[in-house]
Amino acid sequence: MSKKHEVPEVDIVIDEEAGVIREVKPEKTRSKKGHERRVNTSIYVILILMSIIWLAPFFFLVFQSFRSYATESGGMVDYLLPKQWSLDNYKWLLESQESNFLRWYGNTLIIAIFSAAIQTIMVLSVSYALSRLRFRGRKLIMNVVLVLGMFPGFLTMITLYFLLKQLGLTQTGAIPGLILIYVASSGMGYYISKGFFDTIPKSLDESARIDGATRFQVFKKIIMPLAKPIVIYTILMAFMAPWGDYVFASYVAFGSEPNYNVAVGLYRWVNVADYQGYFTRFCAGGVLVAVPITALFLALQKYYVEGVTGGAVKG
Amino acid sequence: MASVTLEHIKKVYDNNVTAVHDFNLEIKDKEFVVFVGPSGCGKSTTLRMIAGLEDISGGTLKIGDRIVNDVEPKDRDIAMVFQNYALYPHITVYENMAFSLRLRKMSNEEIYKRVTQAAEILGITEYLGRKPKQLSGGQRQRVAIGRAIVRDPAVFLMDEPLSNLDAKLRNQMRAEIILLRKRVDTTFVYVTHDQTEAMTLGDRIVVMKDGFIQQVGTPQEVFDTPINLFVAGFIGSPQMNFLKARLNKEAKGYTVELLGVKIPLNQDQNAALSQKGIGTQEITLGVRPEHTSVLFEKTEHAIECTIQVNEMMGSELHLHLSSLNKDSIIVRLPTIDLTQDQRSQLAYGNKMFITFPAKVMHLFDPKTEKNLIYS
Repeated sequence: MSKKHEVPEVDIVIDEEAGVIREVKPEKTRSKKGHERRVNTSIYVILILMSIIWLAPFFFLVFQSFRSYATESGGMVDYLLPKQWSLDNYKWLLESQESNFLRWYGNTLIIAIFSAAIQTIMVLSVSYALSRLRFRGRKLIMNVVLVLGMFPGFLTMITLYFLLKQLGLTQTGAIPGLILIYVASSGMGYYISKGFFDTIPKSLDESARIDGATRFQVFKKIIMPLAKPIVIYTILMAFMAPWGDYVFASYVAFGSEPNYNVAVGLYRWVNVADYQGYFTRFCAGGVLVAVPITALFLALQKYYVEGVTGGAVKG
Repeated sequence: MASVTLEHIKKVYDNNVTAVHDFNLEIKDKEFVVFVGPSGCGKSTTLRMIAGLEDISGGTLKIGDRIVNDVEPKDRDIAMVFQNYALYPHITVYENMAFSLRLRKMSNEEIYKRVTQAAEILGITEYLGRKPKQLSGGQRQRVAIGRAIVRDPAVFLMDEPLSNLDAKLRNQMRAEIILLRKRVDTTFVYVTHDQTEAMTLGDRIVVMKDGFIQQVGTPQEVFDTPINLFVAGFIGSPQMNFLKARLNKEAKGYTVELLGVKIPLNQDQNAALSQKGIGTQEITLGVRPEHTSVLFEKTEHAIECTIQVNEMMGSELHLHLSSLNKDSIIVRLPTIDLTQDQRSQLAYGNKMFITFPAKVMHLFDPKTEKNLIYS
């Protein structure tokens, strides 16, 4: 569609002293200004409302977690701000003999770190291979995986449970069992990173191979540094999924409390255990769960924005 | 430094498209060979097979005396410059040039020596600390060339290295490649679609079309004795004029008859034609624009034409003419000798006469498209 060429409205002023003709743009008309302001205001109102909706549960959680367990109720109350602020709940989580919180937190951390590490390597290798190598059945593999990926993972729950049980990887073996589950099909998540690798010109690979690099050296020395944003993305995703997983963790570890992950443990408190007694502790646990994810995001987010391929090829 | 020998080289893609048919060529040590042809003619594919980036479907490829069909690119001792430069964007120019040397575990002093030396040859010393994106197109292409020369490769491959540059820079870089070639003195294989580059750079030119070699020869040979219509039309700018004509075998010798004008052939042409036993037949007559003279008056062997377009090129005019049987003809006319009166005659629709000597005429068989004399 061709855009109509706009002729700017100008007033011509003759500057006699300087002996030149100047063009002066007239001020925007008042009604136009007013219209802009109205639009802006309504946009801001909408944004503020949305952010309140988003942030409310978070603040609710934080406030509850700081409510004193000793002087107020540990359960649900009908007011938002604590009457007495205290660290009771956190202290209990971290210090009490009754609390398995630290154990669960550790379990989750181990599972998430191992899964993230293995999964990242798998996803990146699979995507690079699918992006760069041409082999028989490549298209078929990609399509089959795409279709398989449309089935939710928990459909395989029962089969997986029996398999893991045979291998002794349930209950007390839940941690390696869960790592295995999270990592097993991770190569199927190649889609996004393959898309990214496809944007890196193939001639860089070719040039490096002629320069004397093996396929692996090309991957390590050329592609990985250029793919930083997608590597970071993959790590984050691979870390977050096991970190917050409930479905698989709840049944693989079922019946063995010390092997719960943090999501399962916390949920059991408010669901199975004493609901009124554990609510504020549950909230404090929730806040602590959010800490590593937030830290990871803050530390890694700047790599997202970096444009990295500039100047590689003509441009 | 090494020779490159291609014997019956063939490339068939998975979808059964044959990109290169039976390619035979021996590239001598330190020779500069240019593959030239329109896009899709298989020239880049052939180069990439020499580089090891494409599998060879059939035939034997030798670098030096070694058969390298199944040798990895890194072990072929070649360097390649890509059309889109293919510089590593995340490292500096220095590191780009040092990359291959580091992979070869060369000492830092040796790397420094080689990189600075190459940078000096190419005039990029001051950019060594920069990243590729901070360089202009011409500078990037110099870095790409530098990356290749630090290796001191046996064979230097270039895949349309100048196509991404603007016309002025292209001319400048072309001259620099000629100089570079003198300095590094190794075997060069250069791919281009630009016949000017092919003519100016190559010791020998390989003209390709549809996966077949059309002609191999020095620039002068290819220009003077094109073996078929394609080569004749591809090499030379503006391209050769092709006219419908008739070859007559007469008692005194052969003549070419064109719009009622009979032009006798010279001794060599007569000898070649009669040796091949060629009789009277229809032909496509090829005459280069620069070999055609323009006359304002009719003479004995002159052919009448009408002016269609008059392109002013500065030092010369390109006249687009139309003959009486609608063949279009381009002639080059130097402006320096033209009088004002003559210039005013060079307008649309005016009549002109053209003439050319027998020795510049190329005779092609219209069916086989082959040159009747040279093939």
